[in-house]
Amino acid sequence: MGTQNIQSPIVQFAQVDKLLDLGRANSLWPMTFGLACCAIEMMATGASRFDLARFGAEVFRPSPRQCDVMIVAGTINKKMAPAVETLYDQMPEPKWVIAMGNCAISGGPFIFDGQYAVVEGAEKLFPVDVFIPGCPPRPEALIEGILELEEKVTGSRRWPRVEVG
Amino acid sequence: MEQQATIDLLYVAAFFLGGLGFAVGPFIISILLASRSTRNTRQKTKQLIECGVEPIGDAWIRFGVVYYLYALMFVAFAVDILFLFPVALIYNTQGLVGDLRAFVEILIFVGILSLIIIYAWKKGVFKWERKIYNPR
Repeated sequence: MGTQNIQSPIVQFAQVDKLLDLGRANSLWPMTFGLACCAIEMMATGASRFDLARFGAEVFRPSPRQCDVMIVAGTINKKMAPAVETLYDQMPEPKWVIAMGNCAISGGPFIFDGQYAVVEGAEKLFPVDVFIPGCPPRPEALIEGILELEEKVTGSRRWPRVEVG
Repeated sequence: MEQQATIDLLYVAAFFLGGLGFAVGPFIISILLASRSTRNTRQKTKQLIECGVEPIGDAWIRFGVVYYLYALMFVAFAVDILFLFPVALIYNTQGLVGDLRAFVEILIFVGILSLIIIYAWKKGVFKWERKIYNPR
């Protein structure tokens, strides 16, 4: 039904692509799209205390056609899954997906025998680039996830890695 | 003189081409550099509605004309006000036109324009009800 093949651009230069990737990585536009409580943490990340704008990823777009990254923030119900997939389809290339929180990773607390309502992870629907564990993850975790995505896009990390402990 | 005019024209042409380049250039660049397709799961890339939900019907419906008539009334009185500005300028000046005559003239003008209200009233513009019903 769907396809995961991308028709490559007409003009391709390695150096130009590197430059474009650098631009994309430092101005990721997420989609204004929250499914459950993780979205509250996503809002907190965008607000003044955690200030996602420091990393260029604060321009939450209301239309999927303007977005680079879909942050799947919350539980995907089976009822909601077609809408989520439609939004994914409507995002133009290049696009990335961040699965935020345990529900988006695997279904989280909703996995039990006889469960009929919840899609067990965003990867059941489309490929996911970065997983952020937590229930819900703290805003710092979301920022770290976006930095990981930047690293995936450009191949090198721009910001220093925070040491644990 | 002739030469100067030619040079001026060239300047205009150069700025026009520059402006055109800035407007059209990004489109061409993005056509050349962007991927020509996008990964999808349900073949919904071309769906017009961007909120993930299936569209219900299309946008080619007939809209109620109620507000349009109301807005037309507003335009009529806006023009009315427009004509009152020059009157206000000369209203209180001394001269051949006496104060009383000016007053009567403006009274007639505004009076005739006020008939718009009665006309529209009779036509039922001020009754806020749908005049066209959606066939669906």
